[in-house]
Amino acid sequence: MPIALIVGGGMAGRAAAVTLRRVGYQGEVVLVGDESTPPYDRPPLSKSVIVGTADLDKVIKQTLETYAEDGIELRLGVAVTAADADAKTATLSDGSEIAWDALVIATGCAPREVPIPGLDKPGVFRITRIDEALAIQEVLASGPKRLAIIGGGFIGMEAAAAAVAHGHTATVIEAAPEPMARPLGLTVAERVLQWATDRGVEVLAGVGVEEVLGDDRASGVKLASGDIIDADLVICAIGQVPRLGLAQLLGCAEEAGGVQVDASMQTSVAGVYAVGDIAAFPSKWADEDRIRIEHAAVAIGHGQTAAEHIATGEGLFEDLPSFWSDQGDITLNMVGVARPDDEIIWRGDQDLPACTAFYLREGKLRAAMSVGDMKTLRGVRKLFAAGVSPTAEQLADPDVDLAALAAAG
Amino acid sequence: MAQVSIGSLSDFPEGTPTFAEADGTRLCIVRVGDKVHAICDDCPHAEASLSEGDFLADDMAVECPLHGSAFNLESGDPDAPPATEAVQVFNVTVDGDTVLVEV
Ligand SMILES: Cc1cc2nc3c(=O)[nH]c(=O)nc-3n(C[C@H](O)[C@H](O)[C@H](O)COP(=O)(O)OP(=O)(O)OC[C@H]3O[C@@H](n4cnc5c(N)ncnc54)[C@H](O)[C@@H]3O)c2cc1C
Ligand code: FES
Repeated sequence: MPIALIVGGGMAGRAAAVTLRRVGYQGEVVLVGDESTPPYDRPPLSKSVIVGTADLDKVIKQTLETYAEDGIELRLGVAVTAADADAKTATLSDGSEIAWDALVIATGCAPREVPIPGLDKPGVFRITRIDEALAIQEVLASGPKRLAIIGGGFIGMEAAAAAVAHGHTATVIEAAPEPMARPLGLTVAERVLQWATDRGVEVLAGVGVEEVLGDDRASGVKLASGDIIDADLVICAIGQVPRLGLAQLLGCAEEAGGVQVDASMQTSVAGVYAVGDIAAFPSKWADEDRIRIEHAAVAIGHGQTAAEHIATGEGLFEDLPSFWSDQGDITLNMVGVARPDDEIIWRGDQDLPACTAFYLREGKLRAAMSVGDMKTLRGVRKLFAAGVSPTAEQLADPDVDLAALAAAG
Repeated sequence: MAQVSIGSLSDFPEGTPTFAEADGTRLCIVRVGDKVHAICDDCPHAEASLSEGDFLADDMAVECPLHGSAFNLESGDPDAPPATEAVQVFNVTVDGDTVLVEV
């Protein structure tokens, strides 16, 4: 019987495993994950999990037993340490070896290492794994706390907003002058920042953290400006780097900081697929030959596509990239591939409750970010599907029905 | 399986997702003409109540208010990410004026 081996029990890895079964793959499906928890949704970690409002049974998608019932062998708490593309074998950290016919690498990202002294103190947390998020939850559960959050990306801003919405105080410290400007562009990022500060999140931008203070436990952070931010806990959310080690061992070609794949998620090495955060994939929605996206829906779509391709020889990833970010009572929903220098056209009230930012490049609609306005975003999806790009005036005018424009062609 | 009354037809305004509970099961109810549809109220994706979303008549679907996946009232399937799983669909019968859901 052929064996499909999936390395990494995250969002893309799980999607690959369950899809192999759903599409009737006849071989064995083995998923090796180095975390001991069965595959779970990562996005809730920085939102509902840390403040204790998450339904963990839902976050952890299914129990160990049900994987066995579905014919998926889970090997958790062990890592794949090496693999050989000629012999088609993989070596695990427990010393065992697994033969494979198809190998899916879904190793995701690792938290970026930064040389800030004191990050190893108790009371400093990362927020990339569920055990870390639950450790934060335990601290927050004992009453109002002061959080110092290093890093003003989506994850840091989400954690801050969730904490503030639950009665804690949070200071986000971002070294770059404009938090979230890279994914959102400057004008939109400024707005999102404004909404966060309106809701009580304190953001200090353009200043680095020099060290984490505290004797036996973190008590705050010292900034490069000399200022000291007192805190009961420190969350370090300064980004992540794709885990490319295994793909490199196998000799897979790299591109755009990731593993180069074709539209069926195959790498340059026969029988080896790469999916999720590590994959640099072709997308008709982007100008670049290949892009890498660190978002959940893309990761799941990648896993599904690789599985279909393994099982049937068919399957292409052509999805319109999309993502969301829940920041307290504000939810950003975005579709398309934006660039920081895109032209921005607004529709709706930028002071909320509802507005949409459209991203245009060379006059053409490339992406949209919406808050509280699903109808417009749905219209944008329809425009993309129909290949219709309205004028800036039409986009700005709330009376123009985008879905109707799409239908009219 | 039990047939549980969740009220009368007039409790469910045409084309407006409405919350109901049947024997502890949280439901999102949508009446379309004389037909009443029932799906699980909890979005399978994250933490949103589908009855707070919009009914999309063209797609016969309810759109999640939080991230916008729209769930077909007959199949339960989402049309687009971020949801990837179907929402549970319940059988509904209308007896005279009474709406009964099989839970
Ligand atoms: C806190 C947080 C919040 C997020 N919020 C959002 C959001 O709101 N919206 C959104 O769209 N996206 C969000 N994301 C991004 C999204 O979760 C990722 O894009 C997605 O999880 C990527 O899936 P993946 O399978 O590539 O990697 P992961 O889900 O990270 O899974 C990789 C897994 O592989 C394991 N692994 C690595 N190497 C090995 C090895 N050698 N052997 C065995 N196992 C290994 C890792 O431990 C991990 O369990 C968030 C991410 C985080 C961390
Ligand atoms: S909670 Fe419904 S789509 Fe996310």
